[in-house]
Amino acid sequence: MRIVVCAKQVLDPDAVNNYALAGRLVIGEDGKTLTQTTIPQLMNAYDEQALEAALRLRDAGADCRIAVVSAGTDPTTLLRHAAALGADEIAAISLPSSGQDYHVIAALLAAYIRSSGGADLVLCGRQASDDDQGVVPALIGEALGMPVVTVARSVERAGSSDRPAVRVTRVTPDGDEIVEAACPALVTISNELGEPRYPTAARKLAARRMKPTIVSPDELSLRPEDLEPRALLTRQYVPTVQGHCEFVPGNTPAELADRLVGLLREDKLLQ
Amino acid sequence: MTSAAVVVCTWRGVRGEIPEETEAALTLGRKVSSALGADLHWLVVGTAPEADAEIAARQGVAALERIEDAKLAGGQADAFVEAMAQYCAQRSPRLLLFNQTFDTRLVAARLAGRLGSGAVMNGVDVEAEAGGRLRVTAAAYGGDTRVVYELAGEKSCIVALLANAVVPQPVEGAASSPTRSDVAVDLSGVEERIRVLEPARAEGLRLEDAEIIVAGGRGLSSPENYKLVEQLAEALGGMAGASRPLVDDGWVDSSRQVGLTGKITRPGLYIAAGISGASQHMAGCAAAKTIAAINTDPDAAIFRYARYGIVGDCLEILPELIRAAKQGR
Ligand SMILES: Cc1cc2nc3c(=O)[nH]c(=O)nc-3n(C[C@H](O)[C@H](O)[C@H](O)COP(=O)(O)OP(=O)(O)OC[C@H]3O[C@@H](n4cnc5c(N)ncnc54)[C@H](O)[C@@H]3O)c2cc1C
Ligand SMILES: Nc1ncnc2c1ncn2[C@@H]1O[C@H](COP(=O)(O)O)[C@@H](O)[C@H]1O
Repeated sequence: MRIVVCAKQVLDPDAVNNYALAGRLVIGEDGKTLTQTTIPQLMNAYDEQALEAALRLRDAGADCRIAVVSAGTDPTTLLRHAAALGADEIAAISLPSSGQDYHVIAALLAAYIRSSGGADLVLCGRQASDDDQGVVPALIGEALGMPVVTVARSVERAGSSDRPAVRVTRVTPDGDEIVEAACPALVTISNELGEPRYPTAARKLAARRMKPTIVSPDELSLRPEDLEPRALLTRQYVPTVQGHCEFVPGNTPAELADRLVGLLREDKLLQ
Repeated sequence: MTSAAVVVCTWRGVRGEIPEETEAALTLGRKVSSALGADLHWLVVGTAPEADAEIAARQGVAALERIEDAKLAGGQADAFVEAMAQYCAQRSPRLLLFNQTFDTRLVAARLAGRLGSGAVMNGVDVEAEAGGRLRVTAAAYGGDTRVVYELAGEKSCIVALLANAVVPQPVEGAASSPTRSDVAVDLSGVEERIRVLEPARAEGLRLEDAEIIVAGGRGLSSPENYKLVEQLAEALGGMAGASRPLVDDGWVDSSRQVGLTGKITRPGLYIAAGISGASQHMAGCAAAKTIAAINTDPDAAIFRYARYGIVGDCLEILPELIRAAKQGR
């Protein structure tokens, strides 16, 4: 079976958090993008886990080819990392620096999947840690007519060799739910899947020689309306958090605890 | 009114209840509809008892619409997407507003794909400009930033609204007297492609409904210490929550996770022990009425959100809090 993993390059969210905490998150002159060049670019963590889910299917004996695709301005490093982890094919959809929205991205990814041999299983992250939208997978699923199973902690093979299916455990607000869908299907992966593996040094070296297939949007024969953004980012800003913390005084843990409980009781928050 | 309607879509939970956040969405929907010169509709999927009419009137809804079909009873996405798509084909609404939940996140996004319209999740505000263009403000980077999206075109736009983003307000002046209608959809062609083998079992109380939450983070330093959090929660008659690393490291079950990708809570009191206050965590507890935080680092982000702070070691403070909570009750 062919598994396509969609992976997005994002700014390291922990670094973004640290800049935000230090009050040093700066929006560039375009009013839209974060411009700290010191923030590293990474593969979106959920996408790394999506690739891990694909590798686990292979480990479990699935006869599969794993393709990793990324749409971006320069996803080469990300794709090499994917190759080092075990991807058989890597593809970059080269994008001009801006002007797309995730509707366009989804259309491009869907068209790539269709034109590159299709997929029995598409794996995505549950959301990208920069935009947090989680919309792209649903749009790809609709474009390809695939059922979309979201927020998975595990993906296993099910069905038979002529009628393949996947069995997915979803992390829902009410606990785990186990579902089955016939392939082709799209599944989004959550952090509950667990730690992704690390590439070995030898594989890293080998991956350096692997060249991503570069796909230009023109090759994907999309209709003009598919390339029209529908939700265009016009502005980004850093919201202000108004601090008003009253630090509880005290010299010993007991004193601090008594004071806090006292304050909370005064406020009628505790009995 | 001439413009196409603004429609708030809700569907009932497993217990037949209307989501708590419905009124917030209706309040925002009312603001947008009046800016557009459009009617506010409220589309309820499932049965609509009298209480809905009261809410609708209080929120200035012009039309209370209902879709009912046996295929929707299972709560499965294919039927919902098809039902909503048929609704949009019949009525061409300008904007569809959803309360963002685990289920609507998927249905709203798939619907956008089906209709070819723009969709934005994590919405905190929607504004209609002169000329009718819609601008949506949404949270990004877990809440570190806000982004503003402009929704293009005249097609039905889709926005999912974050919990706690809007404060519900009743309409000023006289309540409306909404019309009621049933919307007929034909779902006979829908065959759910996803088969549920084992449903989720909602067990016990939900963190979302807790009045008091005590949450622990990586500052607890080892899994055994999480019991301090549980004991304090019990002593206070509340529930225990956690930051994501504790879930990732297998200390606690993911049903305890508070945050962007966990539970969105709004307790009266949230006690955070050994939690740094990363935006992705705060996304799930910033709406608490009062936050009290214990952290060794006086510069921890959590103190920006906290009403009360203790700078100290939570492993020393928690046992004393348990004692103090039990005393004088
Ligand atoms: C896309 C995405 C989604 C995410 N979703 C979530 C989510 O839903 N929920 C969530 O929680 N996180 C989420 N995260 C992770 C989030 O960014 C933070 O990494 C996480 O919340 C940090 O957890 P923490 O505060 O427990 O740990 P840390 O950040 O390591 O903080 C530990 C804190 O404990 C303090 N401390 C250390 N020792 C002690 C002691 N003895 N006593 C008292 N204090 C002490 C330290 O000063 C520090 O402030 C998400 C991240 C991403 C990228
Ligand atoms: N530019 C992209 N290239 C490849 N995959 C993407 C891209 N954008 C989004 N995705 C996939 O869609 C998921 C959700 O992204 P989003 O809808 O942007 O939150 C990601 O975790 C990826 O799997």
